[in-house]
Amino acid sequence: MGASLPPKEANLFKLIVKSYETKQYKKGLKAADAILKKFPSHGETLSMKGLTLNCMDRKTEAYELVRLGVKNDIKSHVCWHVFGLLYRSDREYREAIKCYRNALRIDPENLEILRDLSLLQAQMRDLSGFVETRQQLLTLKPNHRMNWIGFAVSQHLNANASKAVEILEAFEGTLEDDYPPENELCEHTEMILYKVSLLEEIGAFDKALEELHKKEPKIVDKLSYKELEVSLLSKLGRPAEADKLYRVLLSMNPDNYRYYEGLQKCFGLYSESGQYSSDKIEKLNALYQSLSEQYTRSSAVKRIPLDFLQDESFKEAVAKYIKPLLTKGVPSLFSDLSSLYDHPRKPDILEQVVVEMEHSIRTTGSYPGSDVKEPPSTLLWTLFFLAQHYDKRGQYDVALGKIDEAIAHTPTVIDLYSVKSRIMKHAGDLTAAAALADEARCMDLADRYINSECVKRMLQADQVTLAEKTAVLFTKEGDQINNLHDMQCMWYDLASGDSYFRQGDLGRALKRFLAVEKHYTDISEDQFDFHSYCLRKMTLRSYVDMLKFQDRLHSFPYFHKAAIRAIRCYLKLHDSPKSTAEEDGMSKMAPAQKKKMKKQRKAEERAKKEAESKSEESTASGVSKSGKKNVKPVDPDPHGQKLIQVEEPMAEASKYLRLLQKHSPNALETHLVSFEVNMRKQKFLLAFQAVKQMLKLDAENSDSHRSLIKFFLKTESTSAPTTEAEKLRWSVLEAERPSISQLQNKSLVEVNEDFLGRHKDSLVHRAAYAEMLYLLDPSKKTEAIKTIEDSTDKVVQTNGAQREWKLKDCIAVHKLLDTVLLDSEAASRWKSRCAEYFPCSTYFEGKRSSVMPDSVYNSSRKSNDNGDAPNHPMGQTEMSDGQVEAFKSLSVST
Amino acid sequence: MGTGREASVSLDGVRDKNMMQLKKLNTVLFPVRYNDKYYADAISSGEFTKLAYYSDICVGAIACRLETKGGTMRVYIMTLGVLAPYRGIGIGSKLLNHVLDMCTKQNVSEIYLHVQTNNEDAIKFYKKFGFDITDTIPDYYINIEPRDCYVVTKSFAQI
Repeated sequence: MGASLPPKEANLFKLIVKSYETKQYKKGLKAADAILKKFPSHGETLSMKGLTLNCMDRKTEAYELVRLGVKNDIKSHVCWHVFGLLYRSDREYREAIKCYRNALRIDPENLEILRDLSLLQAQMRDLSGFVETRQQLLTLKPNHRMNWIGFAVSQHLNANASKAVEILEAFEGTLEDDYPPENELCEHTEMILYKVSLLEEIGAFDKALEELHKKEPKIVDKLSYKELEVSLLSKLGRPAEADKLYRVLLSMNPDNYRYYEGLQKCFGLYSESGQYSSDKIEKLNALYQSLSEQYTRSSAVKRIPLDFLQDESFKEAVAKYIKPLLTKGVPSLFSDLSSLYDHPRKPDILEQVVVEMEHSIRTTGSYPGSDVKEPPSTLLWTLFFLAQHYDKRGQYDVALGKIDEAIAHTPTVIDLYSVKSRIMKHAGDLTAAAALADEARCMDLADRYINSECVKRMLQADQVTLAEKTAVLFTKEGDQINNLHDMQCMWYDLASGDSYFRQGDLGRALKRFLAVEKHYTDISEDQFDFHSYCLRKMTLRSYVDMLKFQDRLHSFPYFHKAAIRAIRCYLKLHDSPKSTAEEDGMSKMAPAQKKKMKKQRKAEERAKKEAESKSEESTASGVSKSGKKNVKPVDPDPHGQKLIQVEEPMAEASKYLRLLQKHSPNALETHLVSFEVNMRKQKFLLAFQAVKQMLKLDAENSDSHRSLIKFFLKTESTSAPTTEAEKLRWSVLEAERPSISQLQNKSLVEVNEDFLGRHKDSLVHRAAYAEMLYLLDPSKKTEAIKTIEDSTDKVVQTNGAQREWKLKDCIAVHKLLDTVLLDSEAASRWKSRCAEYFPCSTYFEGKRSSVMPDSVYNSSRKSNDNGDAPNHPMGQTEMSDGQVEAFKSLSVST
Repeated sequence: MGTGREASVSLDGVRDKNMMQLKKLNTVLFPVRYNDKYYADAISSGEFTKLAYYSDICVGAIACRLETKGGTMRVYIMTLGVLAPYRGIGIGSKLLNHVLDMCTKQNVSEIYLHVQTNNEDAIKFYKKFGFDITDTIPDYYINIEPRDCYVVTKSFAQI
């Protein structure tokens, strides 16, 4: 390095490098300038100066200098390495890899560059390149442990696990017998366990077990040892030994579900679906009976049988399970049992059992058939359970009755208000739900969970300002919104974005949804440091797991939701001309809401101005005081105004669509938005592909049906093909058409009629039929509306009235009547019909909802909108019918 | 209900963060709405104001105000109450005993309270703990009948 310079300057050059490594950038800059005075075109110095400036936040200059450096000394590996580092700092990994490769062409055995390159290759999953680089590193420096391990891991990642085993074995061959030293026991353990798990992965169970047993004295992680051993024993078909070992593990942790699962497998009593023959159920029951005698403190051993037991034996077991937990007061009991509600008969049995308990406690103070007096709180927890039970079954009236009784019994239990809030949400009154969540929040101001739950309810009720104020009660001092962002609080981003979307503020909505996407990019970036760290620390099993997790990162629900919603924003932007997008949102709102929005905007603008002037002040003072910039860069577009100015919304949408198609190909919604986007882009073949995917995933889904009809209506109505491309498209569709079973020589009208025929009793499907009927032939409007209005809500008879219609579907139907079929009279008839069905729904203005003037939540809503009313007015109203007679015994008052 | 299985009763102080619990109790227990001063007095009385928890459920409270009279400290019980379903299992006694203990420890000269003249249960309760009726104030209450109240006091022998 700096070879071409005379001694004095060469020393200076060394100083630049040293200063860069020790982060003394000013010193380095001075040295660089000193060299450049004499040799203004010295490439390596120019490069290093650029790299130094990059660390001082002078990006543009940095790139200029580094580029100039490379240009002046294209044969220098230093210049290329620096260029690579610069790109890496900006996360331009592909470019960085190119630069490193150029550097290596000049200096093929430079260890530092090879190491840097290997990290990038791991990050970019350039696996064959990764193997190559790792091999080279090992060849150059075979006495480094890390190089052996790195080469082995690279082979494993490149789907060559047996090669990885060979490499590890070769490495072990270089070790002395007394290896490892005291202080490296853990690292060595990890390496052995990694090797064994590799053997397991390639199916060499015998060899894996042998290796494990041979190395036993050197393995300090005894739990992992046992878990690996038991897994190998099972795979080798040695159930007796596995059984024994599982019981040892259970005595260490009797609540680990995986051990129970493994034990069941030993006896051939495990099924993925949870379905068992009656013979097997009996055997399972006997197994768990004996286990429960052995592990008396385990709750898993009591809970698991509830999954496989049926009917009478289930009834008996569930009663036995519930009783002590109601007596003790376990608020999570319902969520513990909620998975049982997927079963066709178990919910009925549960209802019967708990209602019996309620009755018995009320009349005798004890559980049925017992004469032990229950503590007073048992009734409370029983009511609490029943409220959640009826809520789950959609019987909101009954649920509310139970929860109100529980609140009257003991008004100080916070969970009661949270559950009531949830019931109100399900019943369709989001304002009341938010008010109740706030009441719960006020009862313990130190509880972050209740606070977050309240924020979410407020956002669902579109009280965004209030929600923000509440959320920041638990963030650090300072820049509040950024703090929420830094914490990668994605539920907040989604709920807040949803609210803005409903209110027609697409800019802010997009801002939030894209923030989620940003979090995922950050999570993906965050793995970078682990490529070197994990190899050094030998945590290889976790490292490989982490990489696999990162590979499917974008298939996680938060990303899926955010991407779908972002695309919906772009679709809306596409459909409404740019300048009027905002007005449009406004015009759809009720006048009162409009006023509210305007007010809110004004207040926000004021706040923004204040914030700006403040931040200016603080920047000024910050700089003058310490000379350091500790103020974060201000977001130039805090409200997403620039986001909605985008020229081609569909091009933006396509970016996220590609990620969805890659990572969530099994979600119907992915293909639905793909259909919508590609129809607008006039990419008919891609749209057709989306339709086919939807039909494949769920042919009877109403959205699949809609897309099918819309697609063929559109493509058939376009005039005969003229251009080559159109002809080609036409012939492809012609060839594909017979493959769609729904179409088979039928007209679209007939396809639509068939669809109705198959789903006569379903509201959602009738609505889809009606919408398509109108689309195919606008003169059939009356018929379409009649189809919807003739739908009947079947009441499912299961121990009580349960509606089949869902609130959300009824709302969708109302919107269809109102805005697509454009019949306001039918819409209002529908509305009053649904107001009967859903008396708590604010959307339908049900008579028990908070939009009614005499609602307790109505007054609370006003105070909510104004912000900080710490003690909730709802409290008194709620309690007024409570116990006034409390006065007579112990109470004393001033 | 009443004599249940063994359940633990524990006491906890009142702070800003959990004050709503005391408010909830008062709304149900007493026909009177208490003002902010009541809550400020309660918090500043420290150990003399306590919430009672019955297996982690807040079911009762005692709230006192500390007064100084001629250099000696006296304690005024503003409220003492337990939710109806949880009465008769010694929670009120536990709360009162705690405050009486604190009085002895902190050299309080006397502890007193007001009680409506027809509230016989309460009078009986306090007499059990060595309180006596020391005065009657006519027309103490405005909105409830009877309007008179007794002053019920327990004095501590000064050491």
